[in-house]
Amino acid sequence: MSLWSRVRSSLRAVFRGERTYREVAQEMEFHVQACTEDLMRQGLPPGEALRRARAELGSVPLQQQGLRQAAGLRLFDEMGGDLRFGLRSIWKNPVFSGVTVLSLALGIGATTAMFSLIYAVLLHPFPYADADRIMNPAIFNEDNPQERRWFAMTKPQFELMRQAKSLESLLGFRNMNMEISGAGLPEDVAAVYLTENADAFFGVPALLGRGIQPSDALPPHEPVVVLNYKFWQRHYNGDAQVIGHTLQLDHVNYTIVGVMPRRFAFNDTLGTGDVYLPRSLLQGNFYTPWLKLKAGVSRPEADAEIGQLVHQFAKEFPARFPKKFHMQLEPIVVPYERNTGPMLALLFASVLLLLLIGCANCSILMLARGAARQHELAVRSAIGASRWRIVRQLLIESAVISFGGAILGVAASYWLARLPLLLSPDSFPRESVVTINLPILGFSVALALLAGMAVGLAPALRLSRPDVSHAMQASLRSAGGRRRGRAYQYVIAGQIALTLLLMAGAGMTIGTFLYLMHAPLGYEPRHAMNVHIVMHWSDAKAWDAIKLRESRAAFIDQMRQRMASVPGVVSVTVGANALPPYSGWEQAWEMDGKVDDEAKQARLHLTGSEYFSTMQIPLVSGRVWSEAENARGDGVAVINETMARRYWPAGNAVGQRIRMPDLKLTAPLEAASANSSGWREIVGVAGDVRNDGLDRPVLPAIYTPYTTLMTPEVRYQIRTQGDPLALVRPVREAVQSVNADQQIANDVVDLQAAIERDPQWSRQRLFSVLFGVFSGMALALALVGLFSVVSYSVAQRTNEFGVRLALGAGRGHILWVAARTAALSACAGIVAGLAANLAMRRLLAHWMNSNHAGLSGLAVVTLLLGACTLAACLLPALRAAAIRPVEALRYE
Amino acid sequence: MGDDKQLDLLQGTLDLLILKAVSLGPLHGYGVLLRIQQISGQTLVIQQGSLYPALYRLEHQGAIASDWGESDNNRKAKFYRLTTAGRMRLEEETEKWNRMVGTMGAILLAEPEGA
Repeated sequence: MSLWSRVRSSLRAVFRGERTYREVAQEMEFHVQACTEDLMRQGLPPGEALRRARAELGSVPLQQQGLRQAAGLRLFDEMGGDLRFGLRSIWKNPVFSGVTVLSLALGIGATTAMFSLIYAVLLHPFPYADADRIMNPAIFNEDNPQERRWFAMTKPQFELMRQAKSLESLLGFRNMNMEISGAGLPEDVAAVYLTENADAFFGVPALLGRGIQPSDALPPHEPVVVLNYKFWQRHYNGDAQVIGHTLQLDHVNYTIVGVMPRRFAFNDTLGTGDVYLPRSLLQGNFYTPWLKLKAGVSRPEADAEIGQLVHQFAKEFPARFPKKFHMQLEPIVVPYERNTGPMLALLFASVLLLLLIGCANCSILMLARGAARQHELAVRSAIGASRWRIVRQLLIESAVISFGGAILGVAASYWLARLPLLLSPDSFPRESVVTINLPILGFSVALALLAGMAVGLAPALRLSRPDVSHAMQASLRSAGGRRRGRAYQYVIAGQIALTLLLMAGAGMTIGTFLYLMHAPLGYEPRHAMNVHIVMHWSDAKAWDAIKLRESRAAFIDQMRQRMASVPGVVSVTVGANALPPYSGWEQAWEMDGKVDDEAKQARLHLTGSEYFSTMQIPLVSGRVWSEAENARGDGVAVINETMARRYWPAGNAVGQRIRMPDLKLTAPLEAASANSSGWREIVGVAGDVRNDGLDRPVLPAIYTPYTTLMTPEVRYQIRTQGDPLALVRPVREAVQSVNADQQIANDVVDLQAAIERDPQWSRQRLFSVLFGVFSGMALALALVGLFSVVSYSVAQRTNEFGVRLALGAGRGHILWVAARTAALSACAGIVAGLAANLAMRRLLAHWMNSNHAGLSGLAVVTLLLGACTLAACLLPALRAAAIRPVEALRYE
Repeated sequence: MGDDKQLDLLQGTLDLLILKAVSLGPLHGYGVLLRIQQISGQTLVIQQGSLYPALYRLEHQGAIASDWGESDNNRKAKFYRLTTAGRMRLEEETEKWNRMVGTMGAILLAEPEGA
């Protein structure tokens, strides 16, 4: 008896049900006819013969049943019946079903949304083939372990690394700022040069045309360019005919050969490119590598092999590496894991809590309704349903509810999962796309099944043992029911405890966010913007004109003056590296007349003298340097209050002398003043400005004239009368009036928007919004659960209350009796929640990276929950207290 | 039907009888009934109601297979025939039955010892 033939025959019976039924009926008909004929031959009259033949065979449906049972389909049929019954009873109780389905939909939807977010941003964020084997080689400075950076290598080094045994392939890239020339105002584009194996390395087919290919490396080095999707949309309005057209970059014509798909936004390491060019067109020869390991090669093995190579490179170019360092390969997703991993884990935990609360809610409602259904179940039991049969039926009903919840939830999750990417775009890989796909659907179906079991099991086990004689006789008039309450009490207490846990988490994050929002910045971010300019250092002719210090300072100042004359601009300042809330360079400094016992660090800001007035930073004492001092660069400095208070607590900082021994030319393309590392007099003390992020204390800061050290890029802060971004075009024209080829970078940013886009700020906002929403849902669920429990019990105990009132009990007593059980369990829940919260507080604060939320947040949410709980218990209880004894005694 | 000459069917023997009946040639359900009664010389009674469930069970197990065909008087009927698996099962069950009969016979023939 092969298993296969049985399965086949079962399947046939399932899928060709109608036909098999018909065949059975035909067969029976034949049998009856043949039998009747035989009986008639024996002398019976036709009518009697037919009757006998039919009676002997039995009814046709019975035979059909026999067939289905033979095919092992009885279970299937019964479940089908249960399913239909479940659907019908759900349809008949719209309020009950609505509340339960919604409770689960919230939990399943939120959990699915978080799972799809995690799937999109951590599990599967990149479009590249074998993205999990693509590594960033990170350099860790052993003197300063916080410092993690990338390195670039020359072509021979690149060729050497390409031979490494642990690598499948090696990609080199170089980010450059270029300008689109030949059409009106010069426009800034972010170019990325790629080694010609790029197409194979990424394994991402181009949307139109082709990507960068090995043939691009061959002479005659045709100038070709591949466009990024967003750039293509922005610059060409998504024109599909763009292939073959010409794009002029830095006065050279490039032929457009391809457009990459939307998800391709290489790269996360140094910045997304607008255009991609083959390496053979690059003038310099340094590239940053991305490595793809061979399948099966472990990270330590690869670390050892590649690390050795990198140390060898460091010997060749010591200036490009820290003195002591080690190299570690990092999967490209690691920086995101580090930044958002704990947050996502916490959010996932919180939605699981929400799901649990939703399940508890359903359980409570089912238990409550089960009490009303005891009569039905007793009848089922009395006519012979086994316990298993009743459990199965109840479980199928809860599965129907949970699948209803899952369908709604998945639909809602589609939008919910996108919210984080909108609220905090810079926290996640640019290439991640939230979609609903098979793993996610599988996840939510599994979730629905689990939830259905979790929700249904307790009520099913409890209700499947009906006390038949009691339930049948007593109709519904029962004064007892105390015993039945026990199951609720635990569920309610647990639910309230979980809700408090979630609300306290929300209180903590919202507290941290409020702290961030109200933290004094030290400057005025409204009506101000930052404009970034990268000079044309790779174009030898243009560079010659501004290579020297004086001419470059003049160029920078000329642009500042032209910008300042734009109508609507209030003032403009140079703040070369001074864009808060992360500003300045870490710099060692020394104090005059003091033996150097400790290494002192401060944030060095290179600014114009107008910086303080433009940013509206108050001057605490002293003065700002003059125009002439600004041109000279040497001899003066302004420090911030934190530094003044820490090192000159007597308040005599002004007039003291400091110096920064490392502040001198270190790299090509820089220009420094004559004595940049010499002694400087502190001429003034300025107010504190956030310079190490919004939530960390202000670090000591030194401000010096920007002419002290100039790189080929410069930033201007512009204060305007109205919306700053409305002035971008006149500002661009002002810059162009100084040099027709000089573009401004695309990262023009409103200082207020810069704060809101700051990953720390936006992540905290996202965190607060999501946590707030989840805990609000949890609170609503818990209250609905509590309210319905008390309402049900009031409805059931109406008789009892009538008796109590008739015997002289006061209204207050009835109120207490009606609300007591639920209120006590809720109190127990609050106590348990508080205990859990205090126990986990330190851990949570660490995970949430929040040190600013005091216990006041916990107190607020506890009070809120307490008040809401009380209301949910008392409202239905008040109805009980308002009962008139005569009516209550008659109540059925 | 309470004739003394007729025997009630032993539990579990219906399957064996059906297999034997169809092993002699394809039969429709009513034919199976007739053939069993005919071979047994009208001594075995088969409840008609239990015949078909047994047929469906055997078919589900793969011991017999069915095809629609024409009966003697040109009516459409479903014919059952033995499959290879069914033939093997028939042999096994026959052998088992024979052993059983032998054992039972031996037991029932035993004389009390030392009488």
